[in-house]
Amino acid sequence: MFEARLSQGSLLKKLLEAIKELVTDANFDCNETGIALQAMDNSHVALVSLLLRSEGFHPYRCDRGFSLGVNLNSLSKILKCAGNDDIITLKADDNSADSLSLCFESPNNERVSEYELKLMDIDQEHLSIPETDYDATIIMSSTEFQRICRDLMVISESVSVDVAKDAVVFSAEGEMGSGSVKLKQNPSVDKPEEQVVIELNTSVSLQFSLKYLMNFTKGTPLSDQVMLGLSENMPLLVEYKMDDAGYIRFYLAPKIGEE
Amino acid sequence: MTEDLTRFKKRRLHASLSTNAVPSFEEQLALLQENELQESTNADERRHQIWERPNVPKIKPNQDSIIFQQIEVDECVEPKSREPLIRMFGITETGNSVLCYVTGFRPYFYIPEPIGFRENDMAAIQRQFERAINLDNGLTNPIERIELIHKESIWGYHGNKKSPYLKIIFSETKALNSARHILSIKFNDRQLRELTFESNINYVLRFMIDCKVTGANWIELPPKSYNLRNSSRKTSTCQLEIDINYPPENEWSKIAPLRILSFDIECAGRKGIFPEATKDPVIQIANTVTIQGEKNPFIRNVFTLNSCAPIVATDVIEFYDQGEMLQAWRNFVDPDVIIGYNIVNFDFPYLLERAHHLKVKEFPYFGRMKSNFYVKTEAKDTKFSSKAYGARENKFINILYYIKTLQLDMLQVMQRDYKLRSYTLNSVCAHFLGEQKEEVHHSIITDLHNANSETRRRLAIYCLKDAILPQRLMDKLMCLINYMEMARVTGVPFNYLLVRGQQIKVISQLYRKAFEQDLVIPALKSEGSDDQYEGATVIEPERGFYNVPIATLDFSSLYPSIMIAHNLCYTTLLDNRDIENLGFKCDVDYTTTPYNNGLLPTILEDLLSARKKAKADLKKETDPFKKAVLDGRQLALKVSANSVYGFTGATVGKLPCIEISASVTAYGRQMIEKTKQEVENQYTIANGYQHDAHIIYGDTDSVMVKFGVDNLVDAMALGKEASDYVTGKFVKPIKLEFEKVYFPYLLINKKRYAGLYWTNPEKWDKLDTKGIEKQTVRRDNCLLVQNVIETSLRKMLIDRDVAGAEEYVKKTISDLLQNKVDMSQLVITKALSKSDYSAKQPHVELAERMRKRDAVAYVIVKSTKGAAAYEKSEDPIYVLENNIPIDTNYYLENQLSKPLLRIFEPVLGEKAHSLLAGDHTRVVQIATPTIGGLMKFAVKTATCLGCKTPLSKHDTAVCRHCKPKLGELYQRQLDAVNKLEVHFSRLWTQCQRCQGSLHQDILCSSKDCPIWYMRKKAQKDVQDAATLLERFNYAW
Repeated sequence: MFEARLSQGSLLKKLLEAIKELVTDANFDCNETGIALQAMDNSHVALVSLLLRSEGFHPYRCDRGFSLGVNLNSLSKILKCAGNDDIITLKADDNSADSLSLCFESPNNERVSEYELKLMDIDQEHLSIPETDYDATIIMSSTEFQRICRDLMVISESVSVDVAKDAVVFSAEGEMGSGSVKLKQNPSVDKPEEQVVIELNTSVSLQFSLKYLMNFTKGTPLSDQVMLGLSENMPLLVEYKMDDAGYIRFYLAPKIGEE
Repeated sequence: MTEDLTRFKKRRLHASLSTNAVPSFEEQLALLQENELQESTNADERRHQIWERPNVPKIKPNQDSIIFQQIEVDECVEPKSREPLIRMFGITETGNSVLCYVTGFRPYFYIPEPIGFRENDMAAIQRQFERAINLDNGLTNPIERIELIHKESIWGYHGNKKSPYLKIIFSETKALNSARHILSIKFNDRQLRELTFESNINYVLRFMIDCKVTGANWIELPPKSYNLRNSSRKTSTCQLEIDINYPPENEWSKIAPLRILSFDIECAGRKGIFPEATKDPVIQIANTVTIQGEKNPFIRNVFTLNSCAPIVATDVIEFYDQGEMLQAWRNFVDPDVIIGYNIVNFDFPYLLERAHHLKVKEFPYFGRMKSNFYVKTEAKDTKFSSKAYGARENKFINILYYIKTLQLDMLQVMQRDYKLRSYTLNSVCAHFLGEQKEEVHHSIITDLHNANSETRRRLAIYCLKDAILPQRLMDKLMCLINYMEMARVTGVPFNYLLVRGQQIKVISQLYRKAFEQDLVIPALKSEGSDDQYEGATVIEPERGFYNVPIATLDFSSLYPSIMIAHNLCYTTLLDNRDIENLGFKCDVDYTTTPYNNGLLPTILEDLLSARKKAKADLKKETDPFKKAVLDGRQLALKVSANSVYGFTGATVGKLPCIEISASVTAYGRQMIEKTKQEVENQYTIANGYQHDAHIIYGDTDSVMVKFGVDNLVDAMALGKEASDYVTGKFVKPIKLEFEKVYFPYLLINKKRYAGLYWTNPEKWDKLDTKGIEKQTVRRDNCLLVQNVIETSLRKMLIDRDVAGAEEYVKKTISDLLQNKVDMSQLVITKALSKSDYSAKQPHVELAERMRKRDAVAYVIVKSTKGAAAYEKSEDPIYVLENNIPIDTNYYLENQLSKPLLRIFEPVLGEKAHSLLAGDHTRVVQIATPTIGGLMKFAVKTATCLGCKTPLSKHDTAVCRHCKPKLGELYQRQLDAVNKLEVHFSRLWTQCQRCQGSLHQDILCSSKDCPIWYMRKKAQKDVQDAATLLERFNYAW
């Protein structure tokens, strides 16, 4: 038996919004410790890794590890039927799961809606990016990051990220001109929305596709802050932490030369 | 010698018994030699295949006549006197080549006699013309003479009255063109600003019409009429060169012993680049020469660069210098017909450019003409476009123009006459000959060439096979015979058939008939008007699936017979003014003009009766070769008859007459409506029949009748009766025929239906589909669509198992989503026309990426959401090698869904949509590529082989929940590996058989061959399965 009750239903809604653009069908791997999802986008340039810890649910029950094959588009449609404050409960039979049942309860318990989603059998390799120590990590406001991506998208399809000791520069060059945004180190603890923390081992300069970054910033509503991890010739990590409930990580392959 | 032979034969026999397979290509060659050795008394002589033509018999111009089949007619100009000449190339019955110069034929056209013209104005008119032409062109004495004759214009009805015309005869064609130009635009004299007649036909055709020479016919030169040229005056390599003044004619139906050269070249390209003539050498040229009508080529040879191990029954001619090889080949070529595959767009231009690059001076003068006399052979791009055949880019005309032999590029023949999915030599041969060939990718040709004489031998065999296949194709499809028949029937030179469209054929016939009847044809300026007239009628189909017999009634040759029945022609056309002038009364004198028979109806009658005769002869004939000729003839006649109607309606044509074509369709519409009424009124319960008959659909020349009876015998009887009944209501020769019954019948939409075709009640003939194949055989559809539709139709109509068809479709869709469908089924091919596509279509983008020329094969792979189709196209081989995931949804939604719904909706109604969604679409497999931006960073986590959950580090095969099932799972995996291994080795040997050797590695990488994809996929599957199996090694 698998059962997971999430008091903050909106979290699940936001999560789905964040990944459904990148992935169409994916397996949710459930086990004792929580629910995880790992999937590459269709063009194999980006990877989503998502973890919802069992601690985030009350209660959480999973007797044995199993996978829920879900068409994310369908799931997202069903989740749209849940109110933002609703409590969401997921249930499935972990021995032979052919459907996932979802139950939405309004906070005052006056409205209870139930849905069933037919599951898919998805045969897919399980891929992940090993954890590494990054040459540079930046913690910054997630809305600021979203804005930078959106602004520079006007100029070009790709962005260069240059990280120095005390500042990070996002710049783009295109047919119509060029643009750049420079953020200085700003460890102010009082205003987290202005905070910029840079940890640097060696300075790095990398290029990424803005189209994908724009997709990643769909995770903005999940967290006030975003963490970027960069190393030469390694994929970029964009991580949104959901307090203790889990995280969502996006990986993006760096653009090499004129490719 | 004899001893040797028998021993050899025994061994051969033995070998073929033991392998018990289709003889490989090399074995076929060996057999050939055996036969030849047996036939020939002097084996030494036969071993060297030389191809001298037979010696010219002694000819005495005063006593002997010369008879030859002309295969090409063209014009040229005598270099000194600038006199226009007609050149006829041909072959005598004994196989001697002939070039015949015809002197003294002058181009001309007509103008109507100016008002107030008198006999003694002739000189003045001539002076005026000459002055105008001189101004324009600076030609001296452009007009030879002007004659006054009486003719009638073809345009409109004149009550059979002839009017005077001036026949202006020019000394050269240039003068004619310039005079025509002046007349219609510049010349200011009011009197002469009239329409010209018969000025827009070219000199060659004019000559052929006036002398009644048709395409590829036999010419007889009577004694004393001609002069033989001696060798010093010869201008070509032909054995006989003749001068004659205006020859007479004679017609036979045979075909001279033409020598047909089929050839193929190989080039050594550089890695990854399509060969370029300025850089990459031609390394081999394989040739076969066959005499028309004989089964096997009597010459087989390969010109190779560098040494090459001997090949059985084949001359291997080695060269160590590229230029020498090309020169030797040029000297070797003296055929009457040249064929090959894609020779006009690749082999010829490549050879020419290469020879130019190597400065082989003599080379460009190959073909018949000698070097110092005529222009060089050059390749130029031309574009050919015809409504019937579509536009194709070509280097065609110019090559053909200079070679002066008949020339059939089989690729072009295929593209013209057959609608196929792929036009590569391999797939065409597989389709028509049931014979596959190796496809050596051009990138490894260089490696083979550079290795040693054995690998070069391998390549030579491959090349030779490519040279033989076009010959076999041509024999099988009887292209040469059919084209020759067409040339004879329509009277145009052979080469026109490939180069020109339909119009020229009608024009040739029209002029011929007009010439006989003293009619002249105005040269209308073609103005592309967009005037549309109402086309054929379509009775609104009552869509659905009919499980009762549906009888089909057809009008045979509808449009031609309408034109005959109602005497529709240029010559019988009346406008209102004419009616008043001639005092005709409505319905008495016109709509059908009784006074004279029109020209077009006469042509059509001739064509139709000739066809009837050919068909009757065909039935009597037993000799297969003659049968083929007759069948070709009747087909040519049918096509010609039908194109007459099209000619009158072609608004950009030479002589459009919308009045005629509009009347034809109007009659056609009336007739269909009338048929519907007659049938529905006659066959009713009220008239004593069992059911009310009902027309469920009708189009142009046919109606589909539901008589209501439920068995074939009754339906056929009623159909026959109805056709006779309705025929009686129409003017002769219009005839409604009962041809077939469809049972069951699936009516999808206008011009789209399928049914089981019965002509006798015992056994059905075939599964007939219309309009459906157009959708599915279109080459931007993949094979999967075609197969699914075909199988579904078969299940529905032949097995009458609709549920089974549904089941089958669901299974296929399910397989597709799980990547179980073979890649060859998913390949999309499209021919590429460089200039036409500026928009980014999938294959264009890919083609640019691949830098290749011909049709492009690609598959659609998964990509970012919202990516355009062109970004998703990928080379199938690349996809296969790197395991890139196929965009299965694209195939489901953009390829399968529409055609499937189309055929299932009439049967299932709304339920049809359940085919495309539902439980069978919920099992998917997503492939993991070996390349791609992130792939080099990603790590695969092993998942449980039992339940797919990710495994912790200590487990290798299964998770702890599945441990108890370990044995079972291992067994399953082992079985899978074994099965795949067997599968793969079968495919491997299949390919080895195809290349004709079980000991060598396989070189073939044919993109059309389904086996190839299967083999590649099987190889990968075996590897993957074996890796999985290995994981069990650590499990205990």
